Amino acid sequence: MAVNSVGPLDIAVSGLKAQGRSMEVISSNVANSRTNNAGNGQPYRRLEAVLKSDSKPGEVGTVSLADVLPDKSDFYRILDPGSPNSDSQGYVSMPNVDLPIEMMNLQIASRAYQANAAVLKRYQQMVDTSLELLR
Amino acid sequence: MINLSPTSPSMPIAPKPLQPAGQEAKPAQVSGSGDFGKIIDKYIENVDGQQQSSQTSIQDLLSGKNADINSVVAEVAKADMSFKLLVGVRNKVIEAYRQTMQMQI
Repeated sequence: MAVNSVGPLDIAVSGLKAQGRSMEVISSNVANSRTNNAGNGQPYRRLEAVLKSDSKPGEVGTVSLADVLPDKSDFYRILDPGSPNSDSQGYVSMPNVDLPIEMMNLQIASRAYQANAAVLKRYQQMVDTSLELLR
Repeated sequence: MINLSPTSPSMPIAPKPLQPAGQEAKPAQVSGSGDFGKIIDKYIENVDGQQQSSQTSIQDLLSGKNADINSVVAEVAKADMSFKLLVGVRNKVIEAYRQTMQMQI
């Protein structure tokens, strides 16, 4: 039995890990959706998780988080002349985070996480079925 | 769910009963045929190593050294599956031994 090699078990667990990391990125986006100053005087810039396969093309393999890259779209500009952060025209720059989009991404990530957990569970059941034949 | 029960509650005791169980199956094979005994021996070592590493990963998780529960799940599931296979093979071998001893000569 190929328990040591990269099997369905390792692949499913790598999927769990990768989806967990992308959920981390989404939670950072949601938490910072109103952050005016991300330490550099600029509003928080939305981040996106980039997943990559660890195997060559056409081969089965595990997945991992390749990078966390910033979203290049423009910041939102909101008219709020009373704000201490407003510019000379009374506009305030806000992070380029859209909460509905983040909720969609969160749903996708959590469904993918569940799917990986289901694969892991089903594989264990398959191994158990095979071992039943020994009896 | 099945995989967590044999390892997690009996954390300090688990490696010890495994050793005698391994030793118990081993000499019977070694005295019989050397080749098969060696293979079984190697497999028991393999399973034991996986049990130990799942043990350490659980300890790392509980002591806060490692926060990643997914790798613990992977280690425990692997150790569980290979241990179940070992037990299945052992039962089969002992059954074969009993049948041989009951043979009328």
